[in-house]
Amino acid sequence: MGIEWGRIIELWPEIQTAFFQTLTMIGISLSVALIVGLPLGILLFITDRGLFLENRPVNSVVGFVVNIVRSIPFIILLVALIPLTKFITGTTIGPIAASVSLSVAAIPFFARIVETSLREIDKGVIEAAIAVGATPWMIIKDVLLPEAKASIIQGVTLTIISLVAYSAMAGVVGGGGIGDLAIRFGYYRYDNTIMIVTVVILIVLVQLIQQAGDYTAKAIDKR
Amino acid sequence: MIQIEKLTKTYTTKHGTVTGVDNVSLDIGKGEIFGIVGYSGAGKSSLIRCINLLERPTSGSVIVDGKDLTKLNGNQLRKARLKIGMIFQHFYLISQKTVYDNIAFALRAAGTPPKIISARVEELLEMVGLSDKRDVYPAQLSGGQKQRVGIARALANNPAVLLCDEATSALDPNTTLSILRLLKDINRKLNITIVLITHEMNVVKEICDRMAVMQEGCVIEEGQVYDIFADPQKDLTKEFISSVVSFNVPEHLLKEFTGTLVKVLFKGGVAGEGVISDTLQNYPIKGNFLHGAIEYIQERPLGVFIMELKGTSSAVMDALKYMESRSAIVEVIPSGH
Repeated sequence: MGIEWGRIIELWPEIQTAFFQTLTMIGISLSVALIVGLPLGILLFITDRGLFLENRPVNSVVGFVVNIVRSIPFIILLVALIPLTKFITGTTIGPIAASVSLSVAAIPFFARIVETSLREIDKGVIEAAIAVGATPWMIIKDVLLPEAKASIIQGVTLTIISLVAYSAMAGVVGGGGIGDLAIRFGYYRYDNTIMIVTVVILIVLVQLIQQAGDYTAKAIDKR
Repeated sequence: MIQIEKLTKTYTTKHGTVTGVDNVSLDIGKGEIFGIVGYSGAGKSSLIRCINLLERPTSGSVIVDGKDLTKLNGNQLRKARLKIGMIFQHFYLISQKTVYDNIAFALRAAGTPPKIISARVEELLEMVGLSDKRDVYPAQLSGGQKQRVGIARALANNPAVLLCDEATSALDPNTTLSILRLLKDINRKLNITIVLITHEMNVVKEICDRMAVMQEGCVIEEGQVYDIFADPQKDLTKEFISSVVSFNVPEHLLKEFTGTLVKVLFKGGVAGEGVISDTLQNYPIKGNFLHGAIEYIQERPLGVFIMELKGTSSAVMDALKYMESRSAIVEVIPSGH
């Protein structure tokens, strides 16, 4: 087991492509998770018992769907969603196609994280806003989101890192990316150099994301 | 201003139904400062939270400024709440927003035009004495300052009523006093009706006009603060009063006196030394002061003296009658022997 530096140079274009494929997958699925998961998480929270838009049927149904998607192993989701992927992107291979399944997995994941972050807010602050006569929309915009902001940023970090891990499985449907490179070259072909290089890239990536997330969460928190 | 009629609030828990507020009726007048005292669990917190319907009463009605809040729909209730300010023990400010934005939030809830908001916030900050803290976050404020922001937020939309839920219970005695003075000041300047709940009798003594005592969900005593301090009826009320004013002579000392022990109580006036000196001059008796205090409640003096009177029993009786005729309340304390 040794590193052949020549091999790195030889495969560098491939590594680069894989890296950008990973970024593409994470970028797309994270955006979808934020756009859909955030409102979904807020909905789960505000329709819960004792909250200002309490609605048991909505809460139960949304909660149930979220749980179903979260309980399906990602690898199965990846295969099961091939028809949907084909319908949306017109293809079933490549990073864009893989982003469909990644998004579907990330939405409920992030929604639950948002819901948990909102639960950490002191109920009294929400009550004070109700007592002031604020509209539900104002409470969401000016109380819930600002108060949970730091915690939600930590949740975004967690979501990105989970997406890095999930995206490695995208290779199964020809999604590409760093993880896929590691499996194809490092695992199937016993190419230790590529295995090590890809793992190091993933470690550095995760570290950077985590640190950026921690820093941002801390910087914006006024407590 | 506020009519609470036969209000009952019950809670359903795993262990059955618990009654928080039990058939309470109160009528609170405009511009009044009304205090509700009771130990924790007495139902006072549930009661005050029913006034702006943060908790919906199980039965009964809450009429604020002529409107029965229990009959309003969501949006009407939201509008009614704009005119009912509330402050809390733990302030409940938005920690991620500046003092300015916390207050502006209340104004925006009322749909105040953005042009007016800034000037109004400045005005409110000046009223609560925090003009220099405009752009500071709540975490950088002391407890008293946070409560001042809470008060500014509560008053933003010129409410007719201010509800204070243990507003000073998390503050030290000096800060408590300054917040109470501010509340009194606001009450006088704006003629706003204040309802406060507290377990601290000195809060009531300091600023309330009328008060109610709650126990196990019921109001057990209600009246002018001065009258209740002068002549409490229920044991719990006496207990609360003795926590701030005590007129008792130690038990073992009572045994040592040979004369008639009397407790003389003067209401109002400059509490009655004149009556006592006249009594001692006019009747062949001697008097010793054992204890004396003049408390100022609502800026009216309430004087209590405990005296030992020596003389023939008829002379003592005559002297007591004389004092009563001069509008003192006289009570003979049974001595220890």
